[in-house]
Amino acid sequence: MIIAARKLTKYFEIKGVKNAFIRAVDDVDIEIKEGEIVGLVGESGSGKSTLGRLLIRLIDPTSGEILYNIPDDELEEYDIALENNDEKAAKKIADKYSITRLKGEDLRRFRRNVGIVFQDPYSSLDPRWKIEDIIAEPIIETKAMKPEEAKKRVEELLDEVELPREFKNRFPHELSGGQRQRVALARGIATFPKLVILDEPTSALDVSVQAEILELLRSLRKKYNMAMLFITHNISVVSYMSDRIFVMYAGKIMEKGYKNDVIKDPQHPYTIALISAVPQIKRTMQRIILKGDPPNLLNLPKGCRFHPRCPVALPVCGWTANELKPTLEFLIETKYFTEFPNVSIEIKGERELIVNNADPEKLRQVVNAEKENARVLLSIKEIASNGNSSIIRLHEYKTPKLYKLSNSREVYCLLFDPTIKERFKQP
Amino acid sequence: MMENRKHDSSPIVKIENLHLHYYTRRGIYKALNGVNLEIRRGEVLGVAGESGCGKSTLGRAIMGIIPRNAAIVEGKILVDGVDYLKPLREYFKKAKKFKPTKNQDLLKKVNEEMSKIRGQKISMVFQEPMTTLNPLLTVGYQISEVLFYHNPGLLASRRLARARATKEDTKNIVKILKEEGEGERLRQYLKNRNIMGLEDQIISIWRRKELHDLKKEQMILELCCEPISSMARGYLEQIEKTNSLPKFSKLPIVGRIVKRELLKEAFKKSAEFLGLLGIPDPDKVVYMYPHELSGGQRQRIVITTAMINNPNLVILDEPTSALDVTIQAQILELVKELKEKINSTYMFISHDLSVLSEVSDRIAIMYAGQVVEVGPKSAIFNSPKHPYTQMLMEAIPTIEAHELKGIKGEVPDMRNPPKGCMFYPRCPYAMPICKEKRPPLFKVGEDHYVACYLYGGEKK
Amino acid sequence: MSAQKTAKEDKHRELKLSMEVFFSNKSAVAGLVIFLFYFFDAIILQFFPQVMPFKHPYSLTPNYVNPIPLPPSKKFPFGTTYPGVNLLTAIIKSIRLDFWLSLAVVVPGAFLGVIIGIVATYFGGLVDEVLMRITDIVFSIPYLVLAIAIGYVLGRTLDSMMIALILVWWPLYARYARSVTLEVKEITFIEAARAAGSSKMKIMFRHILPNSLPPVFVQMSLDLGTIMLTISALAFIGFLPAANLPELGYLTSLGYNYVETAPWAMIIPGMFIVLFALAVNLMGDGFRDVIDPRRRSAL
Repeated sequence: MIIAARKLTKYFEIKGVKNAFIRAVDDVDIEIKEGEIVGLVGESGSGKSTLGRLLIRLIDPTSGEILYNIPDDELEEYDIALENNDEKAAKKIADKYSITRLKGEDLRRFRRNVGIVFQDPYSSLDPRWKIEDIIAEPIIETKAMKPEEAKKRVEELLDEVELPREFKNRFPHELSGGQRQRVALARGIATFPKLVILDEPTSALDVSVQAEILELLRSLRKKYNMAMLFITHNISVVSYMSDRIFVMYAGKIMEKGYKNDVIKDPQHPYTIALISAVPQIKRTMQRIILKGDPPNLLNLPKGCRFHPRCPVALPVCGWTANELKPTLEFLIETKYFTEFPNVSIEIKGERELIVNNADPEKLRQVVNAEKENARVLLSIKEIASNGNSSIIRLHEYKTPKLYKLSNSREVYCLLFDPTIKERFKQP
Repeated sequence: MMENRKHDSSPIVKIENLHLHYYTRRGIYKALNGVNLEIRRGEVLGVAGESGCGKSTLGRAIMGIIPRNAAIVEGKILVDGVDYLKPLREYFKKAKKFKPTKNQDLLKKVNEEMSKIRGQKISMVFQEPMTTLNPLLTVGYQISEVLFYHNPGLLASRRLARARATKEDTKNIVKILKEEGEGERLRQYLKNRNIMGLEDQIISIWRRKELHDLKKEQMILELCCEPISSMARGYLEQIEKTNSLPKFSKLPIVGRIVKRELLKEAFKKSAEFLGLLGIPDPDKVVYMYPHELSGGQRQRIVITTAMINNPNLVILDEPTSALDVTIQAQILELVKELKEKINSTYMFISHDLSVLSEVSDRIAIMYAGQVVEVGPKSAIFNSPKHPYTQMLMEAIPTIEAHELKGIKGEVPDMRNPPKGCMFYPRCPYAMPICKEKRPPLFKVGEDHYVACYLYGGEKK
Repeated sequence: MSAQKTAKEDKHRELKLSMEVFFSNKSAVAGLVIFLFYFFDAIILQFFPQVMPFKHPYSLTPNYVNPIPLPPSKKFPFGTTYPGVNLLTAIIKSIRLDFWLSLAVVVPGAFLGVIIGIVATYFGGLVDEVLMRITDIVFSIPYLVLAIAIGYVLGRTLDSMMIALILVWWPLYARYARSVTLEVKEITFIEAARAAGSSKMKIMFRHILPNSLPPVFVQMSLDLGTIMLTISALAFIGFLPAANLPELGYLTSLGYNYVETAPWAMIIPGMFIVLFALAVNLMGDGFRDVIDPRRRSAL
């Protein structure tokens, strides 16, 4: 593996507010083989860019390990050590390959092996620098070559990204968006890195230019056997570019696997919805419209982060009384207002609600009738009577993990938990 | 679907040979170079093109929102047969040297004329929902403002209808609704009783799916006998008749009362309309500020604001480009629904052909300030004719794997565009004539036109 | 952009464009003209005093024989002020002092402020917090009080007045530079430089500083006027080390006692203070247009 991350986590503190964190990346495992293009797909705010920056130490992780250039067998050992909570063994391996504690000269040397290309070619190039200096910056700063050699290398790189050599004396504002992105790409690969992070490299470009840049990336990969992490929100681009795909949502990996498996046969409900949401000229699959918006990373839903929007959410996916209350209130106030006069709802803890002045039997009928329309109602475990009012208790939720479907395929969804599967059989 | 919408066959917008140039310090930027296009009543026209092809400029030119350094060199835009930009064109013809300040004076006049139809007959939705909404005002107020200034008559009649309607009336209405639904009889009854303002209020309640029938009845029964001060009543009646606002400054105290009544009514109407567009909790949403809403919700609010006066034409300028795919899917669904519910015409501008394929009836492809191909959606996607369109299709990545091919070369420098066909320098099929003359639109199929000498004109 | 053009030609064109933007702003040009008048006055008197027909170019020449202010006449185009000083020559002499004084305050103040602002932004965290709080404290000291205090300690000299002004002026630049650099720091090319392995120092001085300077320069040109106003104000209330020092504020104060009988004695030197402040403000606006990319491309 050229790079492997384990339990990688990044919380951003909010200035001036205690105990408030933006959980951008939460307990993520990811690994990239030599010469492999890995696609990382997710919507804005899913933490995909943060993950990319973490991997090359542009930002420091809150916790977790990033292991660089680790042989497969040692990574396996490391995983076993983690599973057995064998800290000593884990530390021994981590000390050898970890980049999370690199500093000064060591970090600089590491930077030689990684490159990054950013989304916006307008802001990622210093307007006051010449193209030559921009491309040479990583070569000189990481001391990969002597300054004279660097000049020659810049010319080679310009050839490599199919730009005329005269461009080296120009300034960024004289170039078009596509040309600028080529310059950014030349800078990204200037030191012959083994891993390049491509953070939405084509999102700001026109489709006709995008196709050319993608083609260029593919040929560069072939030529130098570089590993690439292709971060994008556009699943079609990923399906064109990558060998493997990671799907990310609200700081967690939802699904990972080989490209063809994930695209042709998506398993996680989010992946299914994401693929179906991509506008297509010749639509072949039924579109699934997700309700609502991605969650606030400050205040994430309990259990599975996707459950409030999930079209097939189970009773144990993480529903809480806070989520149930508005739905119940709405039903009681509108559709069923004749049956429930003077009803009020109180929250008693995370999994308990009290409905005053309501008959449990009637409530049960409502819940049964509306189950299909509002999945939150599924989470009701029992409705008990308590004098004049009813007590609603919810199922205890379970947080999913990545379940292995096959050797290369993992899905973060309770539908694939064997114990859960038995309890709630889906029709 | 197209056929039965074509009652009124004259296009709502007709653009003839429009040339629009920006005069800048770095030279004359030729943004539009002879655009020929029409927008037909009831259709969704998709306009596609890459950045800098002039698609946004075209949308803005139809609305008349162009900067002062934009010169109308030639051609016209007829909105419902009216050529609003005429003074600008005439100024350019007369002037020896184009002066932005002079142009601005004329633009002001054009704006005055156009503001009468903007927001009412035609309206526009922009890409960035956050910059379109004022962060200091509630979204309800921002929608209400549009209603208040463009359609005060409707608001007055809604308010008056509730004052005029008696208990007896509402009971009768419920009866009619139960018997025949919201049909002609209901309208007749409302007309006879002079309470037409109730119509949309009743319908918006009656159509809500999540309500119990009894609840709906109760709500309709409540639409009556709302007292109103006699002073305000007189003014409201006047507003109802003329559908224009009196000068509030001239009626100091009463003015405030009337204004408040109208704004309150506008909030109600806004909430109803948001509910119609499937926004949850519309009664709460109208009192929220833009920052409290997510990007998708904001864009819906913007679309609502554009749609609330039932405009004849809505120009959507990249309404989904700033949004995530799942949210984009929601908005596209909304546009499709609007198409069903509100009889209007849409011009959908996007750089993403696949987005257009989901919503449009007809598609126009633009390149370097010209429409190079226009035709029905199926024709454009199944048999694209212009080399640019063909190459563009091959460049779009799709989920099903296919080899992508980019288009070599750069978009021409619009300060110094090629003399002949704009696509000539990048075209693999270029012929000598392409270098000399700009191709006109040739007919290549049913309602399908292409600007390319491969399909007509003098051969070689 | 056509491909044949060399970078040199391009640079030339950029410069030409900048000039064009500046000269299209008529009030900025007016400001520049007035500014140049002050500028040449200062240069000539400072470096080539012999070309001017003054016996004492660096002090006022009082005439105690006829100290009462005289109205403008052929001999004294601006009239005279107490004690019999020819206002025209006095103003010409004063402009030199005021001009260099303002420059002497702005340049080191801006230099100090920019350094502190940039250090604060780049290191962030505690360094930022401490530097900015110090800035706030200094910022809150009224300049008059500080000037009086410093004058008391160091003696009432021109130097102590300058030191006092520099001390109160740098926080302004520190804050401004910090806000500008904070903006620059968030642009992606800084992240790209970090990814390239550049050290903090290099990023600060090769990326952030060059990109933050233009707006600071604009601010400096705007401040020249304010500082001249301040110096004149200090002089007006009697904060000048010596009598007969040619200074516009001092001249104004000389005319103050005769405002009813000889209004020109106060109004004319006062006007020259205001004129300078106005000119640099207009000019600064012109510079701001030049660095604004939107202005550059629009007509």
